[in-house]
Amino acid sequence: MSIEQRGAGGAGGRLSPADVQSVTFSRSTMLHPGYSDAEVDRFLDRVGDELTQLQQENAALQEQLADLQARLESVESRPAPGEQAMGILAAAQQTADQYVAEAEAFSRVMTSEAREQYEGQLRDAREKAGAIIQAAQEAATGAVAADAESRPADPNHPDAEALQRQVVYLQAFGQACRVQLRSYLEALLTDVETEWGRATPEALPQPPLRSPAPPNRPAVEAAPAESNGAAPTADASATDREPNVVKSVSGPQR
Amino acid sequence: MRANFGKASAMGDEAPLYFYTHLFLAHPETRQMFPVSMAHQRDRLFQALGEVVARVDDLDSLVPILQQLGRDHRKFGTVAAHYPAVGASLLATLEHFDDGWNEQLAADWTAAYQLVAQVMVEAAESADGPPWWDAVVVGHERRTFDVAVLRLQPKEPMDFVPGESISLETERRPRLWRYYSPANAPRPDGLLEIHVKAHDGGPVSSALVRQVQVGDELRLGPPVGHLSFDAESDRDLLLVAGGTGLAAAKSLLDHVTQHGPPRRVDLFVGARTEEHLYDREDLERLAAEHSWLSVTFAVSEDSWSTLEHGHIAEVMMRGGPWTSRDVYAVGPGPMVEDTVARLVAHGVPRQRVRTEVFAPSRPSPTVDGEVTS
Repeated sequence: MSIEQRGAGGAGGRLSPADVQSVTFSRSTMLHPGYSDAEVDRFLDRVGDELTQLQQENAALQEQLADLQARLESVESRPAPGEQAMGILAAAQQTADQYVAEAEAFSRVMTSEAREQYEGQLRDAREKAGAIIQAAQEAATGAVAADAESRPADPNHPDAEALQRQVVYLQAFGQACRVQLRSYLEALLTDVETEWGRATPEALPQPPLRSPAPPNRPAVEAAPAESNGAAPTADASATDREPNVVKSVSGPQR
Repeated sequence: MRANFGKASAMGDEAPLYFYTHLFLAHPETRQMFPVSMAHQRDRLFQALGEVVARVDDLDSLVPILQQLGRDHRKFGTVAAHYPAVGASLLATLEHFDDGWNEQLAADWTAAYQLVAQVMVEAAESADGPPWWDAVVVGHERRTFDVAVLRLQPKEPMDFVPGESISLETERRPRLWRYYSPANAPRPDGLLEIHVKAHDGGPVSSALVRQVQVGDELRLGPPVGHLSFDAESDRDLLLVAGGTGLAAAKSLLDHVTQHGPPRRVDLFVGARTEEHLYDREDLERLAAEHSWLSVTFAVSEDSWSTLEHGHIAEVMMRGGPWTSRDVYAVGPGPMVEDTVARLVAHGVPRQRVRTEVFAPSRPSPTVDGEVTS
């Protein structure tokens, strides 16, 4: 029986169409008519395996076909450029590259020389201007000194020297006040910054103190007013300059 | 594959020259996407390919790079149909320079290239927003010998994060793209301000400073984040800027101005001499308008100046303490390094110091096409 030899469910060999056409199954028993269940099941298993394998092979072949077609298209739709054409285009491109590079190099030299010349002239002009200003100042100081020597002490201003001393004193006093206040504020700010720098954002329930600049000015103005009645005029003009200095010129005020 | 790539890249300029010649002859329509001079393009190609080959085993890090490349390539007019053309010329090049070329190598390279192209095409197709923005120059001010401030009006609104950069192309220098940072945060009217320093021999920067006029059209590429600005942080800011790095710092400053809540901002701006402080007037105006802002100028080579003297990082350290700040340092390489080193020594955590180096986008070439610094 072909079933027994080739086996409806038997092992070995791939299943051929002829196998399926010629398959025979033995009868079971008198009690249980029909084909043997076990043989039919084994055969169906083989048929299933075979179909799976065929489908996989089919898919792989399809993929290979698409791949080959794609490569074929990319190769054949455009004939590969000839060696001579390649040589000509490459040479033309290199020539163009070189011209551009030369133009850029030329422009680089031109602009850097122009800049040097420009900055050099500016520097010279500034030095000359500086020298002229200095000479003028010296001349002015000399003239004032000569003037003062030639003129006798003015009887209308007997206290000129005393006033001068007072002005110097007040200036020094104002300066000292500012220095002390500034170092106090700096220390305060350093504490705040350091603490804040150490703290994690989560540990910080309230936004910490910001913008310490505003309290600066009234405090400076108030201090001399309380301690010395004569000071405010001279000192207020000094503090008026402060915000400008801080913001636009000298910057790191702390 | 690596050995094969090594053979081609060992040929120096010859391999990319062969590649582009092959590409332009086989697909002449691709030529117009490239600049006249291809010298620097050739350097870039093998550099980019080298990066891909080096990471071919590490897809996790490669894929984001390719996606970014794919999205960015839209501005060049690259479409999906161009990718197979490039692939064919690449294979022809690799084959040309390798005596041991075989079917297996061809199959491996084809598969690798298909993957790369697929990732780039998919990223390009799924990208939001236009491939590029057309913009009109509505303001052009020469501020110094070689710095100009340009104001651009994009025709379509462009959204970006303060501190980001955009690439741009002028029709006066076709197909050459360079990165610049807007000097403002996004505004309702969409205006962008950019600061350009003309580098000697630099084709794009020189044209932007000396030739571009009001009414000119520019193309802008999608914004790219270099300086990651933490807009949510409530820490006070310390901004340190050198050269046209000021643009990025001003962008952050503009964000605080527009959106508050007022964070205290201390801005330090350095230059060689007073003349080089090209934006001083506007910064002084801002400092006068806002109590939460202080601006400090410093000069390093100007003995006559009444401003602070010294390099900007040095001048910055005369103030402080800065330990609580979010710090952004932008400018030339040495300036940025100096600033970071001083602040870290001062006790500012390194991750709170964000930096971007502003350098010429590429060094000028010599006559031989060699790149010098």
